[in-house]
Amino acid sequence: MKKAMLCIFGLLLMVAGGALAEELPVITFATDATWPPMEFVDANKNVTGFSIEYVTRMGREAGFTPKFVAVAWDGIFAGLDVGKYDAIVSSVSITEKRKKAMDFSEPYFQVRQALIVPKDSPVTSLAELVGKEVGSQISTTGTFAIKEVPGVIAKTYDEVGLAVEDLHNGRIAGVVCDDPVAANYVLQNEKYAKTLKIAAVMQSKEAEFYGIAVKKGNKKVLDLINKGIAALKAKGTDIKLRDKWIGGN
Amino acid sequence: MPEQKVVIDVGDGAAIPTKKDHGLLSAWRIAFFGAVLVLLYLVIVHPDPYWNLLKFIRDGVVVTFEVTFASIGLALVLGLFTGLGRVSHNRFINLAASTYVEVVRGIPLLVQLFYIYYALGQFVRVPDMLAAIIAMSFCYGAYMGEVVRAGIEAIDKGQREASVSLGFNEVQTMRYVILPQALRTILPPVGNEFIALLKDTSLVSILAVSDLLRRGREFASESFAYFETYTLIAVVYLIITLILSKLVGTMEERMGNHVRH
Repeated sequence: MKKAMLCIFGLLLMVAGGALAEELPVITFATDATWPPMEFVDANKNVTGFSIEYVTRMGREAGFTPKFVAVAWDGIFAGLDVGKYDAIVSSVSITEKRKKAMDFSEPYFQVRQALIVPKDSPVTSLAELVGKEVGSQISTTGTFAIKEVPGVIAKTYDEVGLAVEDLHNGRIAGVVCDDPVAANYVLQNEKYAKTLKIAAVMQSKEAEFYGIAVKKGNKKVLDLINKGIAALKAKGTDIKLRDKWIGGN
Repeated sequence: MPEQKVVIDVGDGAAIPTKKDHGLLSAWRIAFFGAVLVLLYLVIVHPDPYWNLLKFIRDGVVVTFEVTFASIGLALVLGLFTGLGRVSHNRFINLAASTYVEVVRGIPLLVQLFYIYYALGQFVRVPDMLAAIIAMSFCYGAYMGEVVRAGIEAIDKGQREASVSLGFNEVQTMRYVILPQALRTILPPVGNEFIALLKDTSLVSILAVSDLLRRGREFASESFAYFETYTLIAVVYLIITLILSKLVGTMEERMGNHVRH
């Protein structure tokens, strides 16, 4: 009898242990949810968008549970550095400068910079806006693109939406941001679709990609993320998601 | 009549050092020279990033001062009228001034800034600097109005009675008797408000106005030097407010002497 009890107890332990082992690791992702359609807050106050669905599916492939926290862009890298979250999935373009401060996953999305102007504007390139103010979200690749053109005055906003609103209100001459975001504002937003248009999509010297950022040296998390990205690429899920959230253009 | 003077010095401005308050005076010295030393040390010993940073935020300091001075000027004018309105016997004027104070004091400055810039921006297109200045003075005008009202009410009732018995009418009494005296009592709190306003101008950085804080944020988020940037920004703000509080303190002492003689 005693033996049987022990056996059952041992079995229970094994089952419990097995369940524990199957508990997926949780990876916390920070996102600045003001960047539709990539990551934004929907009508039910949930963080959603291309990146969110992408990472959620990544988790299923690579075996981790993603948790998302909404963080303001200005300071999102500082939070990673002090360990408030494990990774950033927030349409972060991989740049040389950023690579020095953090580690990046494999690229998961190619992006270009788009210039938004009022519908009646004859402007077709950023260079034509010399001496005028052009807005962008603070320290985004959009800002860098504006600063590359001498004579154009860069004006930085906390959120890209505020820059677009200011353009709509006529305070600035243009806005530069990632093309999926620009397309979302100009084509899908009822308010801005009537007044704004994309004047140009800029070709940068090197192709620009989004990557998921982790703290320098955090190989454990990075490996899981890269595993997920590779699995989604192999399945073609990234293209499906692109069609769903951004639409074929 | 013995001089009655009860001063409750609580404000959101910096503590104003006067000669009488030795503790505060030495605290001022420690803070000021400490801040200057820290600044010099950082800039000389670690020119990268501090010297670059200082060069980067230079125009931000100018913008911060521009917004501060323009707003304080407008707020003073607005405050004078509001204060007069608050003590006015005309029911309509009194009600208008009081409602303005009540509404403004009930809304956080940050919300007011968003409101004037983005919400009203749909109807009126004011340039960013002007929007910031309008918002700041609109808010501080209400606070200033309360300072003016308190200053006027602090003048002894006898003054008004004497002036009326000398044949002055209401406007003359206010202009030649009450206000000149009230001015003396309200100057120190106005100085306080001035310093508080300078600090609050850091809020305009959300309006994409390139003030001291915004320049710092731009530098930090591109260089990832968060610690360095915000250390320097804090030190620069501290030095500015300490200089101003010293100036206000000196002014207060001079005015005090003037009253006694």
